Amino acid sequence: MTRFTKFNVSALVIGFTFLYLPIILLILFSFNESKLVTVWAGFSTKWYVELMQNQGIKDAAWVTFKVAFISSTVATLLGTIAGLVMTRFGNFRGRTLFSGMIYAPMVMPEVILGLSTLLTFITLAIDRGVLTITLAHITFSMCYVSVIIQSRMTSYDDSITEAALDLGCTPFRTFMLITFPIILPAIVSGWLLSFTMSLDDLVIASFTSGPGSTTLPIKIYSMVRLGVTPEINAVSTILVGLVTVGVITASLIGKRQKQQLAQS
Amino acid sequence: MTETTTTEPWLDSNQKPYIQIVNVTKKFGDFTAIDNLSLDIYKNEFFSLLGPSGCGKTTLLRMLAGFERFTEGRVLVDGEDISEIPPHLRPINMMFQSYALFPHLTVEKNIAFGLKQDKLPDNVINQRVEEMLELVELTDFAKRKPGQLSGGQSQRVALARSLAKQPKLLLLDEPLGALDKRLREQTQFELMDIQEKLEVTFVIVTHDQEEAMTVSSRIGVMDSGKLIQVATPTQIYEAPINREVADFIGDVNIFKGIYKGQDEKGTQLLSEDSKSIIYATQKVDVPVGNRIWFALRPEKLEITRKLPEVDCNILKGKIEDIGYGGSFSTYHVKLKNGRQLTAIRANRERTAEHHLTWGDEVYLHWAPHSAVVLLS
Repeated sequence: MTRFTKFNVSALVIGFTFLYLPIILLILFSFNESKLVTVWAGFSTKWYVELMQNQGIKDAAWVTFKVAFISSTVATLLGTIAGLVMTRFGNFRGRTLFSGMIYAPMVMPEVILGLSTLLTFITLAIDRGVLTITLAHITFSMCYVSVIIQSRMTSYDDSITEAALDLGCTPFRTFMLITFPIILPAIVSGWLLSFTMSLDDLVIASFTSGPGSTTLPIKIYSMVRLGVTPEINAVSTILVGLVTVGVITASLIGKRQKQQLAQS
Repeated sequence: MTETTTTEPWLDSNQKPYIQIVNVTKKFGDFTAIDNLSLDIYKNEFFSLLGPSGCGKTTLLRMLAGFERFTEGRVLVDGEDISEIPPHLRPINMMFQSYALFPHLTVEKNIAFGLKQDKLPDNVINQRVEEMLELVELTDFAKRKPGQLSGGQSQRVALARSLAKQPKLLLLDEPLGALDKRLREQTQFELMDIQEKLEVTFVIVTHDQEEAMTVSSRIGVMDSGKLIQVATPTQIYEAPINREVADFIGDVNIFKGIYKGQDEKGTQLLSEDSKSIIYATQKVDVPVGNRIWFALRPEKLEITRKLPEVDCNILKGKIEDIGYGGSFSTYHVKLKNGRQLTAIRANRERTAEHHLTWGDEVYLHWAPHSAVVLLS
């Protein structure tokens, strides 16, 4: 039995074409010499150079990076705590409610999430800007981190913690010396996931951003309305690259961790 | 004044128990895991808690380590009440069933972990780690991670780690459960050697009765959160206090019947199986007509083809099954009423001239002092 039957190969090609042809075209045309997006006129990196001179895009990129970094860090902290609470504190009062509330942002339509956070900020009279986008991003990426931590903790042998206590280690030191290093890969992959999700979010950011706090996806979206330029292709290519690196790293860390678990 | 060391401190009323478990009860909701249990364990004992799964033996061990709080009662170690002391401050170490090695630390660092918590100087720690590695013969594996060790090696690391702090009391939760039979038997003897060498009090939890018999100074047989019998392995095997213990430890033939009084041959039992009187030397103090039981270990039941020349305790039957075990054979003999008894005979000769085979009519008999009289 061969795995490379005609049917399999064509299914594979069609599938990958369907998924990646648009992105490949985008990347190709970002290196296009011509100003016309759809006409190939030879290889050039001039749009990347032009990009570097576009202050608006550079500002947006800086805002995006700041938001992504801060929100993913805070989300990782909160999500890790939530994940640990869910797996290590047994059946406390209100557990089901708490767990439902953690998962809610995952299933809630983004538009509603964006709208509701917007309304909250207006009610609390918080001026929209980098702070509000960051807060909104923390809200939705925290749940992903907590899911990753929870799934890691289900395969964590509690007697390891008990063994550390038994050997005279205080509960806090036990967490720092034993639990934290063991679940660190999961924490890192949670951080990377939050980071990439914050990086490419458009809907929630557009609800919660204010003047002077345009993120890159919002910037791209508004530029496209005036017509697609190779410059947009270039900035999108960079964004695709960053997200790809983030997701691949996160999944590699997850894979390595699974192998380690299988060994022990 | 010289201190007398005795091999059986529990018989000596001058000896002070090292661990005193006093009227301890543990409830999980409505479920009573430990039911008003009291137990004294002495210094340098190798004490086994034996029982079926769910009998509360592991819960009791975890209470000693401090991972479970008990509902009522108290636990004293060396006269000091430790009930309120959190696990990391107890002078007790535990070896876990899953070994619970720290996967991100090397063998060396695993063993050193407890010593580092005590803030000992580095040279002391290194020396102790080296000693421990030598003790468990893992010096060559010091730099490995737990993921690169076999089951037997992991078990040794876990043991070394729990012994590194030189605890006065070591708790072992099914320490040999994950090893195969040959390695388990070998490790049992190593454990005994180490226990003797280091003079540590061991409390071990196991469901393996052979293991408990081999390693222990005393065994506590538990069921449903209660201790049924606490005694030496020999006593548990040869003088179980009831049918439950007799049945849990090893194979046993139980004869049910009515107590008919005593005569010069001993206690008379009207057996339900043979409808005749059978004898046991041990005397009982119950009214005639009461229901009592005789327990008889299979190896104490003689099996012969000829009618034995004794004046009592002869039963006739037919061989149903033979289990050849190399050094011994197990015979299942069916009595006339359909009751099956088990007899074990050592295979002393290589080629038995008059060996017994399936369907043979045989006689079973036993000396009256071989049977144990049970009242419940």
